[in-house]
Amino acid sequence: MMIRAAIVVCWVMAIGLALFLIVPLLVIAAASFSPTPVFDLPLTGASTRWYGRIGRLDGFWPSLLLSLQIALLSTAISLVSGTLAAIAIARGKLPGAGIFATALVSPLMMPGLVLGIALLQGFRAVGFTMPGATLLVAHLVITLPYVARTMIAGLARFDFTLIEAARTLGCTYPGSVLRVMVPALAPSFLIAGIFSFLASFDNYPVSIFLADVRTKTLPIRMLQYIEEAPDPTLAALSTLILTGTVILLFVSDRVVGLHRMAGTSD
Amino acid sequence: MSGAAPHLVVRSISKRYGPTTVLDHIDLTIRRGELVTLLGPSGCGKTTLLRAIAGLAQPDSGKVELAGRDITHVPPHKRNVGVVFQSYALFPHLTVAGNVAFGLKVRGTARREINAAVERALSLVKLGHLAGRRISALSGGQQQRVALARAIAVEPDVLLFDEALSALDRKLREEMQVELRRLLQDVKATAIFVTHDQDEALTMSDRVAVMNKGRIEQLAEPRELYLRPASLFALNFVGLSTRISGTVLAADNGKVDVETKVGRLSALGNFQAGSPVIVAARPEQLRLGEQSEANSAAGRVRSVVFQGSRTLVEVDAGAGESLLAELSERDGAIPRVHDEIRLSWPVTETFAFPMEAQA
Ligand SMILES: Nc1ncnc2c1ncn2[C@@H]1O[C@H](COP(=O)(O)OP(=O)(O)O)[C@@H](O)[C@H]1O
Ligand SMILES: [Mg+2]
Repeated sequence: MMIRAAIVVCWVMAIGLALFLIVPLLVIAAASFSPTPVFDLPLTGASTRWYGRIGRLDGFWPSLLLSLQIALLSTAISLVSGTLAAIAIARGKLPGAGIFATALVSPLMMPGLVLGIALLQGFRAVGFTMPGATLLVAHLVITLPYVARTMIAGLARFDFTLIEAARTLGCTYPGSVLRVMVPALAPSFLIAGIFSFLASFDNYPVSIFLADVRTKTLPIRMLQYIEEAPDPTLAALSTLILTGTVILLFVSDRVVGLHRMAGTSD
Repeated sequence: MSGAAPHLVVRSISKRYGPTTVLDHIDLTIRRGELVTLLGPSGCGKTTLLRAIAGLAQPDSGKVELAGRDITHVPPHKRNVGVVFQSYALFPHLTVAGNVAFGLKVRGTARREINAAVERALSLVKLGHLAGRRISALSGGQQQRVALARAIAVEPDVLLFDEALSALDRKLREEMQVELRRLLQDVKATAIFVTHDQDEALTMSDRVAVMNKGRIEQLAEPRELYLRPASLFALNFVGLSTRISGTVLAADNGKVDVETKVGRLSALGNFQAGSPVIVAARPEQLRLGEQSEANSAAGRVRSVVFQGSRTLVEVDAGAGESLLAELSERDGAIPRVHDEIRLSWPVTETFAFPMEAQA
């Protein structure tokens, strides 16, 4: 009896939490189709005119482009350097590998605000003030931990005798890495890339300290829109971003499995 | 090709890792179609020797020849050596058939030939029906077979097995030992097994190399290895024995008389008078009662262990020495614990080994 009650409580909690997470997203999506500038429930009809306005938002295109550039570039650099670092940690007989691993992943545990201030002060101290470049380096600090964490876990599961097996079967050493290690680590690579990209693309607290008039990332720009003119255009933009993310996750779920991305199973 | 021709020749291979000598001038010659086991305790260098043959570890000195070719400096992918790893090392992103086809694909074999070879290899290991399975959906025994099929499919000059059966449970392992031996004989494979399991070595091989501390102590057929161990280490590692320490009193032409704490014993061996030795005999040589022209010793039964067709009887012979006899019901009543008994065994089945070589 007690056990059944406990199970019911757990289920109610789980469903409640899921709703709590999903409802705001549904509200945003609904608001983006609002026919009136002020979002009201119940909806009276639907309109897609706010979607047409996104492109006409002040400074939207440069910000989108900048955010995409920064996210893609920092993800690419992180994937390469993070994977190499992960190999050194997981494979090399590096003294203090555990400390390196913790250091690499530590920005994940730090409040973004603290990280932002620290980076700003640090860059100033060494005289590094190039607007776009500081932003990129800061985003590397954000994305690298995601890559390092995922790749260290992926490599820890990788059995290096697979490479030896491939070699005895007739593969050269580089050939073995390509035919065996790359496919085995591809899911980790994809997961690392997606999380890294998303972490960079929607980062606000770090970017805000390093942006200037010319280098406003999309999240910064969006907050600015909210303050200036809170109409459903922003809801439309959010819905688009949400849709893009869902498509990205859906496709990677087809490829590698979402449970693996969430880290709830391997 | 002649069955007696040397097929794999390892010439005086040595390998050090830092200060430790892992392989110490290993010599090993294997004939075509022969199944040889490297038997020895963990850490004695078996895997390293196998890796040196496969080209995965470069020896510091010495040579390896395979099928008449010096392969000492040939990289692993050009050696045509098949390896079955302890962890199987199957490719998780490929199916069963994909794993078996891997070596042939890499070699650029024509597709039709690959399909035929994969089918043949999988039917040899009785896994034809699982060709499309993912590796993760296989049991341990099935994975073991896929690893074998993958290695066989490329028709290697020699197959190397590194503790390939040790991950299987006992019953499956014993079945696989017999099946694997028959399969390898059918395809006329030359193979080296590595194991620390003496039963596996005796079951599977034409010859067994007993390894100890980077050296081969004895290379012999299983029967000879058991009946005529060349060293105390080989004696101890394969099978059970009675061992009694003593001092040589007199030596005569391959035979010695030894003074021990349980009395005077005769044994085969070449020693000078005064040498400290260990006198040893296999338990099935010991019989109840006296025999003429035989060694004998008396004592009190310490334990009796029933093992089905045979019974192991351990006797406390006093002065810290003990006797181990394997008795059969057929030869008379089995003594009980605390019985005072006398055991005897033939001199020709008694061996003396130098004392200092005790491992
Ligand atoms: N790559 C290596 N680096 C350092 N030492 C090694 C390496 N490979 C093996 N050894 C050492 O060599 C010895 C023999 O190892 P191995 O050949 O694996 O023994 P076995 O297979 O008989 O158990 C061990 O003491 C092991 O620690
Ligand atoms: Mg080993």
